[in-house]
Amino acid sequence: MKDENQLLNVSNLQTHFFTENGTVPSVDGVSFQVNKGELVAIVGESGSGKSVTSLSIMGLVEDPGKIVGGDIMFEDKNLATYTNKQMRKIRGNDIAMIFQEPLTSLNPVFTIGNQLREAILQHQNVDKATAKKMSIDMLTQVGIPRADKVYNSFPHSLSGGMRQRVMIAMSLSCNPKLLIADEPTTALDVTIQAQILELMKDLVKKMDTAIILITHDLGVVAELVDRVIVMYAGQVVEQSDVFTLFKDPKHPYTKGLLDSTPKIQDLNEELISIKGTVPTPANMPEGCRFHPRCPHAMDHCISHEPQLETMENGREVRCWLFDEEVMEHERQKSGNEGTPQK
Amino acid sequence: MSQQVTPEPIPEPPVEPTPESKRRLKKSSPITRWAKLLLKSKTGTVGLFIVLVVFIVGIFADQLAPFGVNEQNYANMLAPPSWAEGGTSEHFLGTDNLGRDILSRIIYGTTISLLVGIFSVVVAGVLGMAAGLFSGYYGGWLDTITMRLVDAFLSIPNILFILVILSVLNPGILTLIFAIGVTNWVIYARLIRGEVLSVKEREYVKAAKSIGTKNMTIIRRHILPNVFSTFIVISTLSVATTIILEASLSFLGMGVQPPDVSWGYMLADGRDYLATNWWLATFPGLAITITVLGIIFLGDWLRDVLDPRSQGR
Amino acid sequence: MKRFLIQRLLQLIPVLIIMTFIVFSLVYVAGDPVALMLPEEASPEDVARVQESLGLNEPFYVQYGIFLTNAVQGDFGQSYRYNQDAMSIVLERVPATMELAIASMIFATIIAIPMGIWSATRRNTFIDLFITGSSVLGKAMPNFWLGIMFILILAVNTQIFPVSGRGTFMHVVLPAITLGTAVAAEMTRLTRSNMIEILQQDYVRTAKAKGVSNGIVTYKHSFRNALIPVVTIMALQTSTLVGGAIVTEQVFAWPGIGQLLVQAVNARDMAIVQAAVFLIALLVIFINFIADVLYRLLDPRIKY
Ligand SMILES: Nc1ncnc2c1ncn2[C@@H]1O[C@H](COP(=O)(O)OP(=O)(O)O)[C@@H](O)[C@H]1O
Ligand code: SF4
Ligand SMILES: [Mg+2]
Repeated sequence: MKDENQLLNVSNLQTHFFTENGTVPSVDGVSFQVNKGELVAIVGESGSGKSVTSLSIMGLVEDPGKIVGGDIMFEDKNLATYTNKQMRKIRGNDIAMIFQEPLTSLNPVFTIGNQLREAILQHQNVDKATAKKMSIDMLTQVGIPRADKVYNSFPHSLSGGMRQRVMIAMSLSCNPKLLIADEPTTALDVTIQAQILELMKDLVKKMDTAIILITHDLGVVAELVDRVIVMYAGQVVEQSDVFTLFKDPKHPYTKGLLDSTPKIQDLNEELISIKGTVPTPANMPEGCRFHPRCPHAMDHCISHEPQLETMENGREVRCWLFDEEVMEHERQKSGNEGTPQK
Repeated sequence: MSQQVTPEPIPEPPVEPTPESKRRLKKSSPITRWAKLLLKSKTGTVGLFIVLVVFIVGIFADQLAPFGVNEQNYANMLAPPSWAEGGTSEHFLGTDNLGRDILSRIIYGTTISLLVGIFSVVVAGVLGMAAGLFSGYYGGWLDTITMRLVDAFLSIPNILFILVILSVLNPGILTLIFAIGVTNWVIYARLIRGEVLSVKEREYVKAAKSIGTKNMTIIRRHILPNVFSTFIVISTLSVATTIILEASLSFLGMGVQPPDVSWGYMLADGRDYLATNWWLATFPGLAITITVLGIIFLGDWLRDVLDPRSQGR
Repeated sequence: MKRFLIQRLLQLIPVLIIMTFIVFSLVYVAGDPVALMLPEEASPEDVARVQESLGLNEPFYVQYGIFLTNAVQGDFGQSYRYNQDAMSIVLERVPATMELAIASMIFATIIAIPMGIWSATRRNTFIDLFITGSSVLGKAMPNFWLGIMFILILAVNTQIFPVSGRGTFMHVVLPAITLGTAVAAEMTRLTRSNMIEILQQDYVRTAKAKGVSNGIVTYKHSFRNALIPVVTIMALQTSTLVGGAIVTEQVFAWPGIGQLLVQAVNARDMAIVQAAVFLIALLVIFINFIADVLYRLLDPRIKY
């Protein structure tokens, strides 16, 4: 059953936060796979659980959060059961991560070089001089001019874009098998966003590193990744290869996301955005979590939670509209109302 | 890449959902709300309890003390506490070298501690508030001079100024209140001035000014209410430090003078009998520690309630 | 850096002037020191002659000018009790006070920094509760009482340490702990709150994402940043330290400036009061200056 090509298999992951005001199920049964060298995007509005999912894979969920269920199979290891000590051998070495805020993600009191070589010294059996050479080489690869000078400078002397390049250099310095980039360009301005994404794509292709690119912006992913996972309210709602997803989105939420992304071919179409906001885990709706905002919501959706169902060519959707039995029942009940408009 | 329009505004949702309980609290009257917040904090409750007890003891010292402050019992000099070996039943905490009841002296000492603690804070508060308000509000040379003075006071330990004052004036309760008051005003002056500078720039204050409201009215109506909570918190915590300061100075023989009694003075007395009669020095110190602890607890709680920014610090 | 140093030094001038002015005017207001200086049977002519020689007949501002000129040269006049130059008497006491201050600072740092870090990394556990509780208690206990209790338990009852005086290492232990406790309490609290704030920073998460050990995360990445405000706090604690030292020296009969100052105040020996106050103030200002420079060296973000 296990695919030779498979690198990461997250199944039924549940990460909850145990706060003073009750349990917050931020990630509630998330499953997806990533193949070796594959470029995957996780998309969803803020608060849908993307960051918590990625931190769970890294074993970096902070108190009061905890992985309470599910498996994270990385190659043949189940990271969900790993201790912090075991995870340290994986982090920065096999799986690396880049964060959203380049301005605050580097330690202000140490030089770039100091922080860069730290990962190399940690995971590779090299001396300081070699680590320095490798670091400067990495800095050059991510397009930083005068890398040997930057090596000795402090983070505050670099711009946001440059710091994010440093973060990329740092994360790729140990040649990881998987790179998780959590909204790596959200904090940067538009022209620099494109450069950084291009750079990341080139590098991971060259190094044969798989990538999970996390974003709330579907527009970013079209040109970049092979496959898209759409998350909503702590769950995966749709999963498909990027081409099919853009051509024929199934889940009403995905459609909403796409409609709010401007496309060149239909400029005359009005830009629609999804009404309402992501529910907080504290007031999660019954039934389908999307139903209060869904234009196609049916009576059935209000009380019954849909499951993630596999459809043709491996794509997955969590929506009653694609359940024959339910649809049949709905049609009988109320004529043609509530039928999906494709 | 084209211009992106995101489906929803980016701001992340609040990490912790607003608890239902807090929302409910907002609707009730301020006093019930405070009471509820107080009971939620264990240390706050303990602090309030201690402070209440200390106040009652301080106010009703005459009624509560079993013996007079300087009443001597020659038959029972240096008697151990009643519950210790060799103690006499009438002296719960024992007696000192002159046969005076230690419990009674601690009770009378409470009054003195509170008097010095509160009044020197009042003196410092009034002086500092006036200096901070005027220098912040009017600015100019008044501000420059005040702030230079504040810098000087802050860069030198205030105990030095107090010692200089105490070396030229006759020691006693009033001198103590004066000396502590005129050295501690700077803390208030600086904080109040900062607050005034930020309040001054707000629209409603500018508006009041533009329609010709008198300066004093603006200060009273718009600035005082805004600095009030900061003022209360610093004052509460200052009472704690002042009580320790008074005890220290009295311990050194420069503070409260006999026949008045002070916890610090009792400690200085007890020090000489340490080898043989431990209770003389032990209980006054306990009284100071418990009182100060209570005030700190209460002050920290007040800070959390009045200034949500500082929560959990 | 050079410009900063010069600027910072220039800022000290008004502080010093105001300080000397306050000290001087208080003593001026206090009135005639001659009565204390001369024996009771001195004739009015003698008094007048001494007043003349001390410049006591000049107007206030002239006297202040003389005082300032002399102060700069370390001349605060004669102590009437010792019949000696006041400043030299004060200077004799400096080593003892320094010994006590340094020992207590070492004690405070050794206790406070690990405790602060420990409770920050184990937030809301029993350890954290215990450490925060102790630090509040350390602040609430007057240090002279603490010192007396130490003497009672460890010197009188068990005779592990000497009761008072200066000399051996054993002599300095109790005074240093007594004096260091309040400082340690404040330092623990601040280290803890700084650490808690810093442990939530993005760069700490970045460090963890690199797979480095907990030790490197805590001590290299977090503590180094938490240290920056702690340095300022240590400097601010010199005020607590000075106040505490004056009392502690009295408790343990420690022959330092504090003890001398207390005796001088009680005996109205104004020359010594002025000399001691001036010297202590100068030291505190100097320490704060050093801390300011150190702060800048520790934080590369501050540019000059
Ligand atoms: N430390 C925490 N304590 C409590 N809830 C948290 C914490 N961190 C995240 N959450 C909750 O988890 C949910 C998902 O957050 P996140 O993964 O950051 O969303 P995304 O990255 O998709 O914007 C949010 O509703 C948030 O409130
Ligand atoms: S299940 Fe129903 S409510 Fe949920 S997305 Fe599908 S149609 Fe909308
Ligand atoms: Mg996120």
